[in-house]
Amino acid sequence: MSALRVVGKQRPRLDAAAKVLGQTHYTADVALDGALEGVVKRSPHAFARVVRVDVTRAASLPGVRAIAHAGNTPAQPLDFGIKDQHLFPRPYARYAGEPVAAVAADTVAQARAAADAIEVEYEILEPVLDARRALEASAPLVHPDWKQYTKLPTRVLRGNVCGHNRIRRGDVETAFARPDVVVHASEFCFSPGLPGYIEPRAAAARREPDGGLTVWCGSQSPYENRDELATFFGLERERVRFINQFVGGAFGGKIIMAAEWYAAALALQCDRPVRMAWTRHEDGLHAFPRHGGYASFKSAATADGTLVAMRAEFVYDTGAYIGYGTGTSQISTMLASAPYRIPNLDLEATLVYTNKHVAGPVRAPGGPQANYAKELHLDELAAILGVDALEFRLHNAWEDGDQSPSGQTLSGVRVKEALRAAADAIGWGTPARPGEGRGIGCTWWFSACGESKARLEVRADGSILLASGNPEVGTGASSTALPMMAAEVLGVDPARITVVLSDTATDTYDAGVGGSASTFSAGTAVAAAAKDVHAKLLTLAEDALEARADDIELRDGRALVRGSPDHAVALAELARKAGGAVSGEGEAAEIDDPEFDESLTETHGFASWLAPSYTASAAHVDVDPDTGAVTVRKIATAQDVGYAVNPTGAIGQIEGGAVMGVGWALTEALQFDERGHVRPDLKDYLMPTAVDAPEIATILIESSPGAGPYGLKGVGEPPITTPPAAIAGAIRAAVGAAPHETPMTPERVWRAARDR
Amino acid sequence: MQPVTLLVNGSAREVVVEPLQTLLAVLRDHLGLTGTKEGCGTGYCGACTVLIDGQPVNACLFPAVDADRRDVTTIEGLADDAGMLHPVQSAFIERFGLQCGYCTPGMILSAASLLAENPQPSDEQARSALAGNICRCTGYQTIIAAVHEAARLLREQGRAGEAPGKRAPIRGRA
Repeated sequence: MSALRVVGKQRPRLDAAAKVLGQTHYTADVALDGALEGVVKRSPHAFARVVRVDVTRAASLPGVRAIAHAGNTPAQPLDFGIKDQHLFPRPYARYAGEPVAAVAADTVAQARAAADAIEVEYEILEPVLDARRALEASAPLVHPDWKQYTKLPTRVLRGNVCGHNRIRRGDVETAFARPDVVVHASEFCFSPGLPGYIEPRAAAARREPDGGLTVWCGSQSPYENRDELATFFGLERERVRFINQFVGGAFGGKIIMAAEWYAAALALQCDRPVRMAWTRHEDGLHAFPRHGGYASFKSAATADGTLVAMRAEFVYDTGAYIGYGTGTSQISTMLASAPYRIPNLDLEATLVYTNKHVAGPVRAPGGPQANYAKELHLDELAAILGVDALEFRLHNAWEDGDQSPSGQTLSGVRVKEALRAAADAIGWGTPARPGEGRGIGCTWWFSACGESKARLEVRADGSILLASGNPEVGTGASSTALPMMAAEVLGVDPARITVVLSDTATDTYDAGVGGSASTFSAGTAVAAAAKDVHAKLLTLAEDALEARADDIELRDGRALVRGSPDHAVALAELARKAGGAVSGEGEAAEIDDPEFDESLTETHGFASWLAPSYTASAAHVDVDPDTGAVTVRKIATAQDVGYAVNPTGAIGQIEGGAVMGVGWALTEALQFDERGHVRPDLKDYLMPTAVDAPEIATILIESSPGAGPYGLKGVGEPPITTPPAAIAGAIRAAVGAAPHETPMTPERVWRAARDR
Repeated sequence: MQPVTLLVNGSAREVVVEPLQTLLAVLRDHLGLTGTKEGCGTGYCGACTVLIDGQPVNACLFPAVDADRRDVTTIEGLADDAGMLHPVQSAFIERFGLQCGYCTPGMILSAASLLAENPQPSDEQARSALAGNICRCTGYQTIIAAVHEAARLLREQGRAGEAPGKRAPIRGRA
């Protein structure tokens, strides 16, 4: 490979100028002439049977143009593997905040007045508000008619249990009974958390004269959403267009449709467009939070610190509907014992329904939870054995040739390198003052490649257009990494490339932002499209320059003969010769996960991981012994990224993940009251500000290439999975114990220190 | 309904507002200045930060009537008339101080206001001045680096302590 000119270099984001000028359009900024305002009416009850919805009075109020409810929208259930949910209750409303109707009116005030005037008769039922309560025989059923549900054969559904998986190898009970081992057990509790994007959900929709529908949205997966919405409303897929805007943060919270559903349901009844911009509070009533739940760990190690057995059991609260909740439980069992060589394992996760909000795939689902519990548990075991936390990890960490819990053989393992780099960056081993502590945690994570298509066009007017279906949610993957990859191949300045944001009219399908996959999958498609255009340009340049393709290179916007830089032709001129444009297409196919030993797993579904990466974070904290208040001074994260195509983006993910991890560890808790009412406002849900954020050191490990373009691996999720574990370890080092419940508030830290 | 004259980014704009209508709603819905964002509507996130007579306020809580005949600086008014970016804007680009960009307009205005009062803030002063602006993407480190870089650029250009944005020729309450 010749020297790279564009990829691998730190450069400003290509969308930055518009963003600092306030010119970037997010969904609520889309101007639509004559737009009606839409609002949603929500159930105030955690669990109720909707007996009657009467819209007569509401419909007669001034300005009201449409009311959507169960009586005038399609009856079929939504399909997330278990068909357990309807657009509006039929007949159960299963969480406080579940939509029961939506109204479109000339003004927001009129729409709200009409929503208030809709008469809903509820039969109030006893809710289930705790995951362990959901498992009790006496617990009410969140889905009384679960036996009638259609589901994929791979899914588990038994009463309130809506997911279960297990990984077993060796024999843990025999190992725990060995006379030469020390056994330690710990119990943990996790708070649910919000994705915390700053842009609340919004959508707009307009019925088109041809019977189609246009939807403006800020989604992580507009193509998937379009297909789902078209299917539900019985529209032709080709006539439904989703135009994705810039997204003001997503973090897994904007994969499932929300405002889009109701804007569309209303617009289909109106001859004017309907826009819906949720307030923070409304957004919180409809949030897809990170899973809360419980975990129990029991592990055994010999006196020299060698791990011999682990049993881990998770119970996760997935809320009222399955949605995309399954991943959290599957990933948790993959993380529970990793990245450590432990011959005897029994790892199990159960997902349960409760009458709470639908938990979703928030950035690194299961990652912060599983790693926090596992690493703190192992710190405690190491302390019992009198082994240093870092040495304990280095002693047990995977090496090349080791197997994952489910029997995937690993190569290119970089755990020890990551551990050492993170530890060095915070001064591991430096004598600590009272109340000062250092901790460390590590993990592995997957890469993912979904389907993606891209189109690249060099035009005679000198412009270059790149269409990818991958949305720009803030990571810079779509706005910057993708044009960098195209620019590298075409030999142009990436700033010359105009990115057409994800718009289904471009017909460049993309599976969406998720699983840290964007630069991998969309990048594969873009690289292929660029290669296609490159080949076509060389063919044209052969004629124009009367030279052989082998002697021609693309550079500085021109095709030139190697060694004679003046013997050149502009790419725009080649496009003119080709009739106005030279265009190419590329696509990425879904890549299958590697082999593993199916006999070790039960109903898992995600038991082997493509191009795994290894990450360690170390934390340096101060704890006030009188109050238990924790100040995080520094987080260092060393992450095996394969290759950083866009280092600015990769470092940005790691720094942002560190502070999101600080929040989940110390302050963020989505609180519910005894009626199941959520408190999602920012006065109650405390995200870190600039004064809470620590210094962050980032170490990119690029010595173990992954399966993506240029050897990249998925980057966005791992960096939030390890800081909470490292902070817990640091608190433990500082005061002798750390809370077994998140967030690790001052009171919990103080009590843990007192009770140690 | 009440007539109000807002001196927005150097121009007098006449609007008729409801008694408790927020400045945010007036800027976005009446004047089409959508660079100012609504993040929480309750004054916690700072995405809607604008400057009133140079001081940062949460436009989501600020009654438009209280801005009558006062200078309002929004993100659209920070670059100069020739379109040249304000040093805080260029520093945010060069030091990677943004990702999704939704908090960016408010963050930049808070930073610009800080630098007008304190041309060479410490890390701690910069973090404290921006504590009312939540960013979920960056982890803040690049934002603080951008503030320092902007301070350097302003000093280099002889603009240290300069009030950000444009002032209207008429000022003060009638």
